[in-house]
Amino acid sequence: MRKAFITQENLSVLSGDLERAGRKVVVPRPSATGRMEYGAAQSGSLTHLGGALPARSLKATFLPPTEALLRWKNAKDDVVLEPSEPKALPTVVLGARPCDAAALAILDKVMDWDYHDDPWFARRKATTIVSLACDGVDSSCFCTSVGLSPDTTKGSDVLLTAVDGGYLVEALSEKGEALLEENKTRFTAARGEAQAAERRKAATDKVRKNLAVDARTVKDWLGGNFEHPFFKLGSRCHACGACAAVCPTCHCFDIVDEPEGLEGGTRRRNWDTCQTSKFTLHGSGHNPRNDQHARLRQRVMHKFHIYSERFGETLCTGCGRCARACPGGMDLLEALREIDKLRRSSRPSAAPIVTPTNPPISGGAR
Amino acid sequence: MTGLYTPYLMRVDEIIDETVDTRTLKLSFKDPKVAQSFSFVAGQFAEYSVFGSGECTFCIASSPTRKGYIECSFKKVGKVTSQMRELNVGDTMGIRGPYGNSFPLDKMKGKDVVFIAGGIGLAPVRCVIWNVLDLRKDFRDVTIIYGARSEADLVYRRELEDWKNRADVKLHVTVDPGGQGPAWQGEVGFVPSIVEKASPAASDAFAVVCGPPIMIKFTLPVLEKLGFAKDRIYTTLENRMKCGIGKCGRCNIGPVYVCKDGPVFSAAQLEKLPNEF
Repeated sequence: MRKAFITQENLSVLSGDLERAGRKVVVPRPSATGRMEYGAAQSGSLTHLGGALPARSLKATFLPPTEALLRWKNAKDDVVLEPSEPKALPTVVLGARPCDAAALAILDKVMDWDYHDDPWFARRKATTIVSLACDGVDSSCFCTSVGLSPDTTKGSDVLLTAVDGGYLVEALSEKGEALLEENKTRFTAARGEAQAAERRKAATDKVRKNLAVDARTVKDWLGGNFEHPFFKLGSRCHACGACAAVCPTCHCFDIVDEPEGLEGGTRRRNWDTCQTSKFTLHGSGHNPRNDQHARLRQRVMHKFHIYSERFGETLCTGCGRCARACPGGMDLLEALREIDKLRRSSRPSAAPIVTPTNPPISGGAR
Repeated sequence: MTGLYTPYLMRVDEIIDETVDTRTLKLSFKDPKVAQSFSFVAGQFAEYSVFGSGECTFCIASSPTRKGYIECSFKKVGKVTSQMRELNVGDTMGIRGPYGNSFPLDKMKGKDVVFIAGGIGLAPVRCVIWNVLDLRKDFRDVTIIYGARSEADLVYRRELEDWKNRADVKLHVTVDPGGQGPAWQGEVGFVPSIVEKASPAASDAFAVVCGPPIMIKFTLPVLEKLGFAKDRIYTTLENRMKCGIGKCGRCNIGPVYVCKDGPVFSAAQLEKLPNEF
């Protein structure tokens, strides 16, 4: 895959070129309140793409907080359905944080598990992700604990690294190659590789200091210790769901009908979170997860046990947003440290949970 | 029509009131092509919808051997089931599915089958009962043990009558103590004790159990005492679901996705799951 160099000025010009070519350009930029957020680029006037991690991830670009699945129309003695075509505008993200790009590759697994989630993949296909090796590491970052790094290439089509005078550019996929090829006049020969390597290493070393735990090693302990007293950890949780909202990998959703007068309405899928009591409440009133400890345990289990068991991936990028957003001071870094301590001090557990295999189904219309 | 989340349209053909709050709807596909192609296996579930209230997860209560229609039985408890009760014959519903795994009918062939159900838990069991009865010669002895709180809470009464009159079915119907009327001819007592009393032979048999969690909890030890192996006792779980296809993250029990790994589980599998269902 090719390497190149682009100046800050040319990156700004490139953003304008892409817009003129009919692509939506999304960049991290300070919002009106000064907080970093991903949003539409201001045409042709990009400033440095680095800095703090945007408060929210790229998740909403691919799995919108609310999205129409279909519309129904009440006709005489009948109902007519109009499935929604997912809005998948050709998009380029310039300056994605590598952890946010990695989250997309992680979520591809659940979105393509036997059933191919069309709205998700329509947008994945239409989007090119140009990441920027992270230079905004803070004390809540722990990407190195989940097998990623501030310069991880997972989920990215192009990786930029800020060097003197601009960015070192590395194409990582066919989409990335195509972007460089189509806009080749904006790029020059690669330079600053030594400096890029140095900066990337410095950022990685900085993250490593935050959490010296490999979160992938806690999987087996979690599987064998469902009832462990450690999971009485929900006392400080307000069940607000902020962690799930800011999380790049939390993907639980609800499906609801919104009637619009007598003529019809829209069936939508909306973000949901396992942290609320209604999430698992049965019609009978029975609730399998009937306290906040059980709900918080589910969040930890889904990220570090269930998803890795199923898909061979940790459902966490170590972005640290949940720790930053939690009003109760719940901190996943602290939880992982604690689990790691328990894991080290425990003997091999008696009976790990075994996942039953799904017998093949004959028949079925889909 | 395509789309993972787009239901097939169904017409309500028949409405049967089972009890004061439980109803069965017989539904047929509006699109003749779908009616032809739709097939399922006993134990699978679907996402039923009424437009305006949303979707709800139930088993398919009719047998896959009966083609051209499906049935669902539901109790009015919430938003969707309330609107479902408002439907009249000729009205339109939606259905997505079939989803999930199934009861191991192939393994059950040539064996005795014992069906045990409580209350509306008879719905998923009834699907398997008719499947077995429609292929009667493939199976050996069939025993059905069914109980409800009271006479008025028994569902599928016309079919209970039918099974009672068949020489090739042993039927035990029971009501909880105090639930019997003056003319009650059946058993009185909780399902686990009636299972013990009926004492079906376990040596070459499978058991299919469904009902309230408390009934299942007390029935499993009785079956084990009678000699049923844990991998020959099957039940179906109905955790709350939204997507039904392993995405929305709602039905996990530990690492299990009830929608994809289930809803049918053996007692041996259940034993290994955390107590979160």
